Amino acid sequence: MSTTNADVVSTQDTRRWTSLIGDLLVRHIMIVVMLLIVAFFAYRSARFATADNMLTILIAAAPFALIALGQTLVILTGGIDLSVGSVIAASAMAAAWSAKHFGDNPIFPLLAAVLAGLVAGAVNGLVVSRLNVPPFIATLGMLTLASGIAYVIGNGAPINGLPSTYGMWANSGIGGFTIPVVLMIVAILAFAFIMRRTAYGLRVYAVGGNRLAAEIAGVRSRGVLFSVYLISGLLAGLSGLMLSSRVITGAPNLGQGYELDAIAAVVIGGASLMGGRGTIWGTAIGLLLIQTINNGLDLLLVPSYWQNVIKGVIIVAAVTVDVWAAKRSK
Amino acid sequence: MPHTVVEATPETAMLLCTGIEMSFGGVPVLKGVDLHLQPGTVTALAGENGAGKSTLMKIASGQYRPDAGEVRVRGELLPTGSTKAATGLGVAIVPQELASIPELTVYENLFVGREIRTPLGTLNRLAMIRQATASLQDFGLDIDPTVQIGSLPVGVRQIIEIVKATSRGARVLLLDEPTSAIAEREVGHLAEVVRNLRQQGVSVLFTTHKMEEIRAMADRVVVLRDGRLITDAALSEITDDGIVTAMIGRELENLFPDLGGHGDEIVLRVEDLVVAPGADPVSFTVRRGEILGLAGLVGAGRSELIECIYGIRKPLSGTVTVSGKPLKPGRPGSAIAQHVAIVPEDRKGAGAVLAMSVLDNATLPRIAAFSRFGVITERKRRSAVGAVMASMRLKSNGLGQHMENLSGGNQQKVVLGRWLTGTVDTLLLDEPTRGVDVGARSEIYRIIVDLAAQGMAVVMASSDMPEILSLAHRALVMRGFGVAGELSRSQLAAPDVQDTIFRLASGLDASTPSSPQEPTA
Repeated sequence: MSTTNADVVSTQDTRRWTSLIGDLLVRHIMIVVMLLIVAFFAYRSARFATADNMLTILIAAAPFALIALGQTLVILTGGIDLSVGSVIAASAMAAAWSAKHFGDNPIFPLLAAVLAGLVAGAVNGLVVSRLNVPPFIATLGMLTLASGIAYVIGNGAPINGLPSTYGMWANSGIGGFTIPVVLMIVAILAFAFIMRRTAYGLRVYAVGGNRLAAEIAGVRSRGVLFSVYLISGLLAGLSGLMLSSRVITGAPNLGQGYELDAIAAVVIGGASLMGGRGTIWGTAIGLLLIQTINNGLDLLLVPSYWQNVIKGVIIVAAVTVDVWAAKRSK
Repeated sequence: MPHTVVEATPETAMLLCTGIEMSFGGVPVLKGVDLHLQPGTVTALAGENGAGKSTLMKIASGQYRPDAGEVRVRGELLPTGSTKAATGLGVAIVPQELASIPELTVYENLFVGREIRTPLGTLNRLAMIRQATASLQDFGLDIDPTVQIGSLPVGVRQIIEIVKATSRGARVLLLDEPTSAIAEREVGHLAEVVRNLRQQGVSVLFTTHKMEEIRAMADRVVVLRDGRLITDAALSEITDDGIVTAMIGRELENLFPDLGGHGDEIVLRVEDLVVAPGADPVSFTVRRGEILGLAGLVGAGRSELIECIYGIRKPLSGTVTVSGKPLKPGRPGSAIAQHVAIVPEDRKGAGAVLAMSVLDNATLPRIAAFSRFGVITERKRRSAVGAVMASMRLKSNGLGQHMENLSGGNQQKVVLGRWLTGTVDTLLLDEPTRGVDVGARSEIYRIIVDLAAQGMAVVMASSDMPEILSLAHRALVMRGFGVAGELSRSQLAAPDVQDTIFRLASGLDASTPSSPQEPTA
């Protein structure tokens, strides 16, 4: 081992400091992009750089953070989960329905949302891992199915007139740090730890990087695949609860299209859609980038259609820069 | 036979590389290489895996941008990192992994990117087929250009790649390991094609591991070692030993270490294992410290047998027991728990996760031993993996280096070494030295013999006859997913053993000196 350590030191010594800083900037190019965007908005809008607005960004980011984390795990295995937007709707409707029928206790909507998310995730996981259906197709099916179920639960209409305790999940908290914001921070830290430091995390990377090699090394790849879809479903369920709790309504079109923002966050974070490459920190940065742009454009009163145009350009540009940087640092 | 070149100076060179330096992830691969290729010559680029041969070729063909140095083609400076400019200047590369598109036909492959069109702008298929037939015949290929290229043997596809490159006006042809994937019979054809090209004044540079091919094809041999050009000599001026010594940097003593004795205790017992439908059941035992060779032709079922033992593949019937405990069929986890280890044939496809680090790859099979309550204990795995990799003399830029940046021989050391952080009683090796060069090969042989001496039962499938003859205590010859015969150590030392093995493997003659299927236990 001493020989390998000596090798590392000698090659690092020969590098010059300037190129070291250059390397660092290139390797963390998304942070640089992020800072540039923050600087731009702070320059253009007086309200942007206030603590209040930062909290607003975090609150808006929370439901996306949960599904983006789940999506990261799925994408690391080389899969994709297109169903999370619909699962948000289905679990929000399930939560609202349970609040309507079982009364004030906020634990019922929580259980209903979690259960709905887990069931959807488990179905995705089984279809992908046991029936070997390509993840794109399996979760595309679930996208349609879960959306249908969301409308079935509400008989085609939103569920209104919910008890005020239903709003507790999104609106209570300590000094502006509401439950969703705290949950987001805890979840990011937890998943960063899981993916970097646990046996489970290593197995996810291995299955995504080379499934056959992982199996030969003793990894039960089907179990790993099942688990990532289950986790993605669970987090979508929680996200649905947070979103509907915020407005104390169950809306069957909630979360529509959110899967695309989640996928964008993961990809901006440097993950490969082929699997095996990507990090939780990357996703967190990608997520904050998208949410900051949303918030900044709102503050600048950019019309929403134009916001989409700008966002689309920025997503592709950000990933282009990342691809360039990855090539350069090689 | 060597082609005499009048005044082979750098000025007359078709391709001239000067002071090429290149490193990957901080590991220097080329440390200032000068190389010139003269028109109408064939140069062999020899060197171990990791010496920098492929990298040099990729720089010469504009795929990589070197950190320092320049490439000139017929005096013109090659813009760094531009494949298009290289093609324009007449430099073509035929990569190790074939670049043809298997779903397209031969002529479509030949013309893709420079299709012949009719005045209306549609494809003129007839003209393309006519031209393709002509250029294929120039190279002595009598094949129908309208067949799908994927249906042709690899050797033929390789030559079609050469046809494609030269028909686009290539004057410098770089062949990366042109013979690694093709049958021996096809090598002769390739050599003929290369000779043909030399007569037309093309400069050819090719890499290889095999001495016979250097002798058969090259005029000149250039040896790279550790990123430096060690030797540059006309073939007539250098001996085989000279080339090998230049490659590995020391005299090649005995390639194979001495084989010790083995114990009596049976570790691995395979009983009535049916590997494929209709195949004869396979039964054998391996004792502690014994190396059992599996010989046979390609497709004889050696890999399949090893996969069934380990559990990557489910046998149709039969049992595998290790130290008296049966393994669950189709469950690699059960084999690992019984201290079975495997080094698969396809290193990149089945052995390693290339996108992960050496450390993570080495952690994977022993993940339970390196974690508490699911959390990986960093220090423990670092010291265990570091110790094993140091003992295997792994050349890497630290344990955090990604597998994809290691040479084949070093990847193989990780794929084998990752098991040795824990107990291994049974070691299954499938072509352990495929794609591994001479120097690393003798190291791997030493490791295998050492491991057997430590008490492992080793099963080694190999297509390399000297490996079976020198490294196995006993050998099974396989044919049609069954065992055609068994040879003891003394039979393996017999002078006519190669012939015996060949006859058993091909099923030519059943009357062999040994009685097949003799009981061993």
